[in-house]
Amino acid sequence: MTHPVPLTIGLSTAAGNAFTPGEWRDLLARIDGAADAVTLTDGFAADGPQGPDAVILANWLGGQTRQVGIIAGVAVNFTEPFHISTAIATLDYVTGGRAGLLVQPSGPELAERALDAIGHPGGYPQAEAGDLATDLADAVAAIRQLWDSWQDDAVIRDVERHRFLDPDRLHHVNFRGRHFSISGPSITPRPPQGQPVVAIALSGPGDPARGADIAFLPLGLGAAGNLPVHGDLTLGFAGEAEAPGLWRGEPGRLAAYLAGLHRPGLSGWRLSPEDPRRDLPLLLAELPALRAAGLIAEPGRGTLRARLGLSPAPNRFAA
Amino acid sequence: MSKKQIILGAQFPGVNNFTVWSHPEAGSQIAFESFRHLAKTLERGRFDFMFLAEGLRLREQKGRIYELDVAGRPNTLAILSALAGVTDGLGFINTLSSTFNEPYVLARQLASFDHLSGGRVGWNVVTSPGAFTGANFRRGDFLPHAERYDRARAFVDAARHLWAHPGRDFDLPGIGRGHFGLPENHVYRPVIAQAGDSDGGRDFAASHADVIYSRHGTLEEGQAFYRDVKARVIRHGRPASALKILPGAHVVLGDTEEEARHNLRQIRLAQVSPRAAIALLEQTWNRDLSAYDPDGPLPEVEPDLGAGQLSLGRTRLHDDVLDTVRKWRALAEAEKLSIRELVIRVTARKHFVGTPESVAATLDDYVQQDACDGFVFAPHYTPGGFDRFVDQVVPILQDRGVFRRDYTEGTLRGNLCLPDPLARAA
Repeated sequence: MTHPVPLTIGLSTAAGNAFTPGEWRDLLARIDGAADAVTLTDGFAADGPQGPDAVILANWLGGQTRQVGIIAGVAVNFTEPFHISTAIATLDYVTGGRAGLLVQPSGPELAERALDAIGHPGGYPQAEAGDLATDLADAVAAIRQLWDSWQDDAVIRDVERHRFLDPDRLHHVNFRGRHFSISGPSITPRPPQGQPVVAIALSGPGDPARGADIAFLPLGLGAAGNLPVHGDLTLGFAGEAEAPGLWRGEPGRLAAYLAGLHRPGLSGWRLSPEDPRRDLPLLLAELPALRAAGLIAEPGRGTLRARLGLSPAPNRFAA
Repeated sequence: MSKKQIILGAQFPGVNNFTVWSHPEAGSQIAFESFRHLAKTLERGRFDFMFLAEGLRLREQKGRIYELDVAGRPNTLAILSALAGVTDGLGFINTLSSTFNEPYVLARQLASFDHLSGGRVGWNVVTSPGAFTGANFRRGDFLPHAERYDRARAFVDAARHLWAHPGRDFDLPGIGRGHFGLPENHVYRPVIAQAGDSDGGRDFAASHADVIYSRHGTLEEGQAFYRDVKARVIRHGRPASALKILPGAHVVLGDTEEEARHNLRQIRLAQVSPRAAIALLEQTWNRDLSAYDPDGPLPEVEPDLGAGQLSLGRTRLHDDVLDTVRKWRALAEAEKLSIRELVIRVTARKHFVGTPESVAATLDDYVQQDACDGFVFAPHYTPGGFDRFVDQVVPILQDRGVFRRDYTEGTLRGNLCLPDPLARAA
């Protein structure tokens, strides 16, 4: 027996050097209403094409979409947690609660290039796996605390007493990590979802989850702790291949392949077209068959958290 | 001789007491709909650009988060790129720190914005060194105040180098090295704006910027600033028209001159509430004045010139506090002003006040007489605070032949009639 789960479509900005702004707009217009969410993986410090910054792209697209969740990728080891926090909160305002952050871990090789690109300033991790992992967890924790640093009722607009804010409902986060500290509070009020969705793509079950809400994980490799797992599959409609995380085959055969992988407890699918221009239209054409087979759900409305089965986020600072 | 065309920009109401959040029609300061409304209104009025200020830490006073002013704003780049996605001709000038960003990261973000918006992005380069703001960032308090413009200059030079070489490797001493992997089929040329009024700020603008903001409100002050800055531009080997001079200003309209003046008075009273009057005075006195009556005389106690700062997160208002206080006391004495009335007087910014016809004529005069090349207006409230200007003043400017009826190029640089910086670099 299968149970229908939300569908996320994976795109990468690095692949997007080939896209004009108009093509990006068209891609998202096709996905809007067809899937629950899209991830935009960022090509930060990539060797070759990097494409537009994923957070800028996400916001530029955000106001032009109606329904789809937009999960923007950030190499959090090499960007400012404060800026990430406000930019994703803003995306959440722009989309009315459909925003997410795709935390992109950096391995030592990418980290070396990233540090070179930003000129080795102070406050950043070394290009070493353990240090990168610690810094990643620090950054996610700081970003989350900043989202909570305004209580939902912090703006009081008390005309009689001339008070716009109640400062007791704002909180210095005073975060201290290994390489940086952040005083807070955020400059941006708490976003509509409270906590936008934090997702991470894992390459194997041993990877730590680092404070994420959901994990994208190739199936057939095991579980990701007790984090909700979304089966992660790159797919192409050319040639033939079957491996954990990769499928190539003819149109019409995807549903049968996914049904073989589907299992109780699965929380969603992320399907990433290998060559979006070729594969995205074909993938969208497969969706009715996937729905008929009970593999994916009709796209929902409402907040992205709710659609991905996450409960409303309480504020850690509210009494 | 044909008339100079007026440049018009407007900002989303700022995080300060000039934004009247208590206005009966005031809406959300953070909802996307408020931003979209202003952007759509400005685009309907064929404005050159929308502008957004930035502050990277909430203001504090007497050890507490400042509660009297509107506060809470979006990420600048994020909200303006969202607005670029729902507009076609309007430009967007982002205020962004050259202190708490890294050149590769910010240059890539601005290039992305420029690419996606079809050339409608500008960057208002600000510096924000200091421990207070630095406490929100990885690098902390790393940049001595005296070096702020050196970093800004190197930052802009680096960004321009990267924009000129998309899809190429870079190796810039003191900046970084790697690959700038942006699409190659776009000419990246964000507009650079600058707001510093100091000698160093003026020189930075003259050598590096396309737009300079000023706060010189009167015709004569504006003309003096205009002559000074344009001469600096020429000294740096650029044509005078390469730098546009845009003072910040407010507009208050009425059906009659008298009604407009009445409206201004109501706005000033709302901006300087009794509590705000005391709080604003405390920022100059640098001490707690909560025991004083806002409708009473100025405090007899002297300002605290000690090192501790009562108000954090604001630009310092006066170089010489004692001199300022002496002048204010003399003014209050001569005109029998209460604390609140004095604060209303001395914190006034440039307002163009009158009927749509008289305001349009005055704006035109300022530009034709070289007090400026245009204006950056701040509405008094969000989201509808600029509707009337667009509906009633813009058509008069268009009829006078000094403002566009439609966008032509669809780029910010085209709106501002700026030369291509890449041609200069070549």
